Amino acid sequence: MTGSNPPKYPPLYRRLYSVWYRHMRVYTNNMVSNGFPPFLEPLIFLTAVGLGLGKYITEPMGGVKYIEFLGTGLLVTTAMFTAAFECSFGTFFRMEYEKVYDGMLAAPMTVNNLIVGEIIWAGSKGLFFSFAVLCVLSVFRIVDLPYSLLAPLVGFLTAVMFAAISLLVTSFVKTMNHFNFYFTGFISPMFFFSGVVFPIASLPGYIRPLAEIVPLTHSVRLVRAVCTRNYRPILLLDLLYIAVFILVVGFFAIVRLRKRLVS
Amino acid sequence: MDYMEKTVISVRNISKSFGKIQAVQDLSFTVESGSCFGFLGPNGAGKTTVMKMLYGKCTRDKNCNGQMDIFGYDPAKNELAIKYLSGVVQQENNLDAELNVIQNLMIYAKFYNIPFRVAKKRIEYLLDFLELSEKSDSKIKNLSGGMKRRLVIARSLLNSPRLLILDEPTTGLDPQVRHLIWDKIRQLQKQETTVLLTTHYMEEAFQLCGRLLIMHKGRMIMEGKPGDLLDKSIEKYVIEVLETDSMNQIGDDALLSRVRIDDAPNFLRYYSDDMDALKSLADSYLKGGNYLIRETNLEDVFLKATGRQLNDRQ
Repeated sequence: MTGSNPPKYPPLYRRLYSVWYRHMRVYTNNMVSNGFPPFLEPLIFLTAVGLGLGKYITEPMGGVKYIEFLGTGLLVTTAMFTAAFECSFGTFFRMEYEKVYDGMLAAPMTVNNLIVGEIIWAGSKGLFFSFAVLCVLSVFRIVDLPYSLLAPLVGFLTAVMFAAISLLVTSFVKTMNHFNFYFTGFISPMFFFSGVVFPIASLPGYIRPLAEIVPLTHSVRLVRAVCTRNYRPILLLDLLYIAVFILVVGFFAIVRLRKRLVS
Repeated sequence: MDYMEKTVISVRNISKSFGKIQAVQDLSFTVESGSCFGFLGPNGAGKTTVMKMLYGKCTRDKNCNGQMDIFGYDPAKNELAIKYLSGVVQQENNLDAELNVIQNLMIYAKFYNIPFRVAKKRIEYLLDFLELSEKSDSKIKNLSGGMKRRLVIARSLLNSPRLLILDEPTTGLDPQVRHLIWDKIRQLQKQETTVLLTTHYMEEAFQLCGRLLIMHKGRMIMEGKPGDLLDKSIEKYVIEVLETDSMNQIGDDALLSRVRIDDAPNFLRYYSDDMDALKSLADSYLKGGNYLIRETNLEDVFLKATGRQLNDRQ
């Protein structure tokens, strides 16, 4: 038997990078259809608010003009949506229909590498989407540079959280249709009740704790603090929440998906 | 050629169950370096599960005390090492439909951490080797089934594997492509690549494999050189009777003790080592001429070993 010389399979960071590279390569293959919408979407949103909705909301919200309130929230919701889609429909499609993972797992990488790579990719996508919103916001002078440049990092963390939870959901899903429950029952409500569209302070007292449980609330608070340079101690709790959420949910996502990918 | 004799894969007493289904039961085999080892069996026999267990896509049952040694590594502990040394062609093509031929290969070159320049040369060589050079910029959806299969084989060869695992490499392909792939597999063997192959095609097994393992319902039925399996396991000749009417004409008394009957609805086979016995049987009872006398082949061995009835896994 051989084996005296261990073969030089790629080190961990190269394995993670190769998963990331695969997704990046597929994504950038359609530059126009994939690269344009992240900029267009916030433009539409802000135009609608600026031209119409904003006229009715004359009171400042959370201490700022409504367009700024909503605009800064979009920095993280865009990351949430892109990560949630990528790691639900996208992952399920790669796993069950295209069988892309089967091929990848025959190459030198483990299931853990594959899933962590997946999460890092979703995070990068969140960073990019967040950055696209930031570009639009700064063109309209809704946020000020350069300190708002930290916002895409919050977008990254947000996307990583939602990648982890979406992968966990995906590990339970038997058919694509099940994702409808996830999006209608979890993601959409979060858009409305996490302080993006209106402050959670205006929620009834008995709902407010609920808003603190869900992940987006913490991202929103962080990103607003970054954009307004209003740093408070409570933000450390938000960061802690995000870190724990990523580790715990990510752990269970990996455990469950491993069962599905390695029989 | 001492090198050829070296055992590179040694599997002992492995089992695998999925719930109540025993996919693989107490299987053992060894493979010599540079040889082609074939797994033959009906659908659901457990061939693919064995392949997956070798590269860690499937874990063996823990309570079976089985052992696996692939180039000195155990997939339970060193799956990365084994994957790095191996090239795998899975049953499904799983190419990236959104990328073209070169891009598909480039992505896998990254998985093996092959430097860009080296990868480019290697890809050029492999596309030429599998006669795909003209298609290098094509989209996957514009490739024929045979081209896709050849591309997946090219992909599995990127890292110059010492072990090539081919799970039904030619199923569903036309004879030209099949022969081309056989030819390439033979060339790879000459370069000391060890090949593991699963197939339903007896001819493929006969053409390529130095040793064959016939599986049925997760168990090994027989193992050996294809020629030996033929000699030992089955009579030399067979008459196939194609018409029901003639079948009834052969009375039980006519059946010599040396003739074995294989009875299927509307189809009879009489096996014997004695050609003359079969001929006289045909002359006396099968006047209609609706019969064929031929030498037996692996398919007869296979059907004898695995039975003619479909089982619930097929």
